Amino acid sequence: MAGTGKAHLRDSPAPILRVENLVIEYKSGRNDPVQAVSNISLELHDGETLAVIGESGCGKSTLGKGILKLVDVTSGSVVFNGVDINTLDKEALRQVRPNFQMIFQDSISSLDPHMTVGRIVRQPLDIWNRGEESERDAKVDELLVSVGLDPERVKDRKPHEFSGGQCQRISIARALTLEPKVLICDEPVSSLDVSIQAQILNILQEMKVRYGLSLIFISHDLAVVRAISTRILVMYLGKVCEIADPDTLCDSPRHHYTHALVSSVPVPDPTVHRHSAILQGEPPSPTNPPSGCRFRTRCAAATELCATEEPQLRETTPGNYVACHHPRD
Amino acid sequence: MSDLLKITDLAVDFDTSYGRLHAVRGVSIDIAPGESVGIVGESGSGKTVFSRATMGLLRGSSVHRTGQILFEGTEISSLDSKQIREYWGTKIAMIFQDPMTALNPVRRIGAQMSESLIKRLGMSKSEAKDRAIELLTLVKLPEPELALEKYAHQLSGGMRQRVMIAMAIACNPKMLFADEPTTALDVTVQAQVLELLADLRKELGMAMVIITHDLGVVAGYTDRIAVMYGGEIVELATTTDLFTDTKMPYTEALIKSIPRVDRKRGSELSSIEGMPPDPTKERASCGFADRCPYAVQKCRDEHPQLVDAGNGHQYRCFFPIGGK
Amino acid sequence: MVLKNKPLGFKLSTAWLSLCVLMATLGWMLPLPKWNSSDADALGVTMFSKGHILGTDNWGIDQLSAMIHGTRISLGIAVVSVVLGAFLGAFLGVMAGYARGWIDAIISMYFNVTLAFPTLVLLLALVAIFASPDPFNPGTTLPRMVVLTFAITFVLIPFLGRLARAATVSWAGRDFVLVAKSLGLKRRTILLQHIVPNVLPSLISVSFLAAGLIIILEGGLSILGAGGEPGSSWGSLLARNRGDIDLTPHTTFIPVAAIALTVMAFNYFGEYLRTSIDNRDSRI
Repeated sequence: MAGTGKAHLRDSPAPILRVENLVIEYKSGRNDPVQAVSNISLELHDGETLAVIGESGCGKSTLGKGILKLVDVTSGSVVFNGVDINTLDKEALRQVRPNFQMIFQDSISSLDPHMTVGRIVRQPLDIWNRGEESERDAKVDELLVSVGLDPERVKDRKPHEFSGGQCQRISIARALTLEPKVLICDEPVSSLDVSIQAQILNILQEMKVRYGLSLIFISHDLAVVRAISTRILVMYLGKVCEIADPDTLCDSPRHHYTHALVSSVPVPDPTVHRHSAILQGEPPSPTNPPSGCRFRTRCAAATELCATEEPQLRETTPGNYVACHHPRD
Repeated sequence: MSDLLKITDLAVDFDTSYGRLHAVRGVSIDIAPGESVGIVGESGSGKTVFSRATMGLLRGSSVHRTGQILFEGTEISSLDSKQIREYWGTKIAMIFQDPMTALNPVRRIGAQMSESLIKRLGMSKSEAKDRAIELLTLVKLPEPELALEKYAHQLSGGMRQRVMIAMAIACNPKMLFADEPTTALDVTVQAQVLELLADLRKELGMAMVIITHDLGVVAGYTDRIAVMYGGEIVELATTTDLFTDTKMPYTEALIKSIPRVDRKRGSELSSIEGMPPDPTKERASCGFADRCPYAVQKCRDEHPQLVDAGNGHQYRCFFPIGGK
Repeated sequence: MVLKNKPLGFKLSTAWLSLCVLMATLGWMLPLPKWNSSDADALGVTMFSKGHILGTDNWGIDQLSAMIHGTRISLGIAVVSVVLGAFLGAFLGVMAGYARGWIDAIISMYFNVTLAFPTLVLLLALVAIFASPDPFNPGTTLPRMVVLTFAITFVLIPFLGRLARAATVSWAGRDFVLVAKSLGLKRRTILLQHIVPNVLPSLISVSFLAAGLIIILEGGLSILGAGGEPGSSWGSLLARNRGDIDLTPHTTFIPVAAIALTVMAFNYFGEYLRTSIDNRDSRI
């Protein structure tokens, strides 16, 4: 189960974003540094929704922030429009920022509590001096309407007066103000009720089409991700396990971890029994990951090879890749 | 049929600065011995208040609770705090969403478990230790003897939940009350914990009540499901009937809005527009009328009562799906 | 206007503090004898006597006049030191909390070392070092009151600064700060537009409570002999007159009442602000 591996990267059509060998470490007390993201490479194509799936501690959130350089990146490249963002100086990086935006899981915490909604959504335009005053106000109204909110009723109110779902809509509106190319969504619906989740996911789809966005959707919920993504990337302990299109990944997963993940998702249908692969044990500590394949300690199919050699990503069916020495058939 | 737990017309009101809040508006439900019942609802449905009120955890002068709670025929709703502990925690086990709050962070696991065994069951220190190891083995905690010496923060979320379950079943309860037991857990750990609960139920013959917002969780592990909306039960049926013979439009809408890992993508997720009804207002209509695709005038003028369709299937709707 | 729907405590506190401010700024216009001049014909008269509404003390000093002067000094010290202390403390605290690293290490060390000293002892020491020994004739050294103000400010900076730092650390971890970074905002702008406006309310709330404490502190220092010219502030009035409590009890009680009312008023505002912030930040 490895991350070192770029078999899945292609040159044509040129991807909008290419991440290569990204490593993000952070210090953990006096111990060795922890690699939250361990040599990960991925690509985002124009107009696609790439889902990054994993459980807590796999590094998916850190990956999202690292791509935007909101956290320090230890090594690796993040190439956008032919330029490696990682090598840019402070000012040049600032200039690139409008192309990327991010929305977070805690929608209420994502909005400055002392600012009004109107000001929050307008802020990006004010910072980057886009358009005249009246044009900016019009843009704010347009965005609020497109996410299903009535501008007159929300613009002068503060975030704490709204529900989680409404705050998430406001965050989306704000994120789209600068018409970014890439939108990274970090668990955007995880803390919302199911019926509200569907509303927000539909809005995201709509906005994606209307503004020509490419999405990186980080989540732990395979069911949500199956519904909306064009490709799914499965992470475990900082490494990539499998990359495949949603139907293949969910119906015939090749990696043992993916298989366990898919089997564990509860299905709202009493006639469906999915207890085939209940994972034993707990994820190992990221400070001391297992040698070779990091998943081997919980994998029923692990052999000696898995302990000595880190598996590389290999293509299984066109466009689908798995990093495993003994993938499932 | 002697019910283990019989709740009749439980209603909970709060006095707040916004006025009187009707969080739970008359809920009645019976749990038979050995049965597993799921109570499902979104935020604002009143399920959390309902479960806390049932467990006797809502106190204070601004809380107004009416209704009857009978456990094995004994009225337990108006017990004082000392007597309540004889039931809740002993005869009826409780587990919660966040095991960190149920476990004392400054005491070792072994000490906490032994303490409750010594106090509640009158065991000696060594007996309690043996029983603690037995319980931890029962919940499939790896290396139980070592775990006894650990502190809560040294264990992962899934392990803490197992410890909490072990402590809960220590007194061989007749029923387990699980309030969002897996919401904070990763999905693979959730599957482990749910399987564990199902195994324990079989071994100990416990009844179980699971309060959750996740229909997927209850679909696989319950005999009956009650759906709550706006402080009331809007549908109560066997698990199979709830999904195959859905009567209440809210339940139908809820099921349709859940993304499924076993269905192909492509179709748009159906969502429920609008918001739950205002809990501070009296209800003269159906609480779901504003958001219901089938609503007609009657739904806005009258408040539907629960109707029994036979086979224990109850629903609260004037025009149920599939006719009456 | 602003007082329309506020609770009684709010109205009373506002009224009292407004009165104090009025007295401090315009009280000198009242036709009263000077605050430190004695009226030989009216030694130790009680309240509501002719010519002296609040009576006089054993030296014939008009108490109303003394109190009005005292308002200016006591309130002045409290307000100036709190405002200065909050401003400097907030500046250092926010920087420390946002930048972390070595900046935080240095500033925190300054905070912690200063706070390690017992407050009263530190203040006494500072007054002893920098102020003149004779409160009546400052001479070339600094007058006591000025030194006192700066000394109190010096102690307040770490007290309020630690609070500002903790609040900054907490706010800086919120997602909206990440959002601000992702929008390309410069660090200084993030601090001014996002962090400071959120830290300010709780800082102001504690500042009110601190102001009350300072008034009492000043009283304590006066009793210890480290205050300004005797009789110039409420505290020093109290210090000077408490010995005569059997003869002229009103000369003790009046300063005590003023101190108590002012501290209560400050406390009220501090609490009021704190609860309205809590209400805003917590949701059902």
